[in-house]
Amino acid sequence: MGNSFGYAFENGINRYLHPEITPSPDEHPTFDPLLGFPEGRKERVMLATKEEMVSCKIPLVNRDYCAHKLIEYLGCRKDNFPFVVKCAHEKHAYLNCRYDDFVTRMKEYERERRLRVKRQDKLKQPNCQPIAA
Amino acid sequence: MNSLVKTSKISILRNKSVIPFLTAVRSHWNKDFKPGPYPITEEQRIAAAKKYGIPIEEYEPYPDNGSGSGDYPKFRPESGESRDPFYPWDNPELKRNFGETLHSDFDMYTEDRYDINRKLRYPLWVMWLQFLGVIGGFAFLHWWTYQFRMFLAATPRQYPTDGKVHYTFEKP
Repeated sequence: MGNSFGYAFENGINRYLHPEITPSPDEHPTFDPLLGFPEGRKERVMLATKEEMVSCKIPLVNRDYCAHKLIEYLGCRKDNFPFVVKCAHEKHAYLNCRYDDFVTRMKEYERERRLRVKRQDKLKQPNCQPIAA
Repeated sequence: MNSLVKTSKISILRNKSVIPFLTAVRSHWNKDFKPGPYPITEEQRIAAAKKYGIPIEEYEPYPDNGSGSGDYPKFRPESGESRDPFYPWDNPELKRNFGETLHSDFDMYTEDRYDINRKLRYPLWVMWLQFLGVIGGFAFLHWWTYQFRMFLAATPRQYPTDGKVHYTFEKP
């Protein structure tokens, strides 16, 4: 998982050769998100409100679960301009949030892929119910 | 006295400024560059050919279709770029001899403009083949490899406005 760029080529070829077990990067997970989590999962919390994001003119693509960090960072930039180097901490916090978000998405992709592999294996066995999608 | 001197100066200046106009009127004016009327009779054709210094067998005016070329001769143009650079031209800047009849579109065929006598280094079909080979080759590669395009193994970005609940991988 660490070498995500190195596997980019292999992902493309796997998607061509085994489309049934290789999810597209454009599709959301198809299985039940709580499948295989008997204790449940922690829900992601959106901290920035829509009014705040509109007021800060956050671009639509950045209105995700890291938006509150981005608002802090942009506000720090505005307060300290032109000495924006003082906002290194806020920027680092925002980019770390984006990194953690990406790791979560990579885990979601890998979970989806492994569940698809399981489903394919089950389909090959006779008289077996496939995993509910 | 002072005012008299000033007046005389103005008259001198006025006389000087008239000189270019006088020269233009006395010698060639642009009405003299204008071709004559379209030759209809044989005598007019002979006179026109003589005026432009062209043998009567080679003289052929532009068709009288209202373009205003009159009796100006029509002949094959020769671009300055294709003329012999080592010939002792009377006017080497234009590669032109004194008294030479200019083509009707002479200003288009000077050395810094279009070369109508140009010979291509390769035939046109070879150049088209090269162009289509390169562009088409890359287009084919793009089209054919589109099915193997690489991507980062991650799901799309998650937004709270997606209409579904998103989870982390931690226990609640």
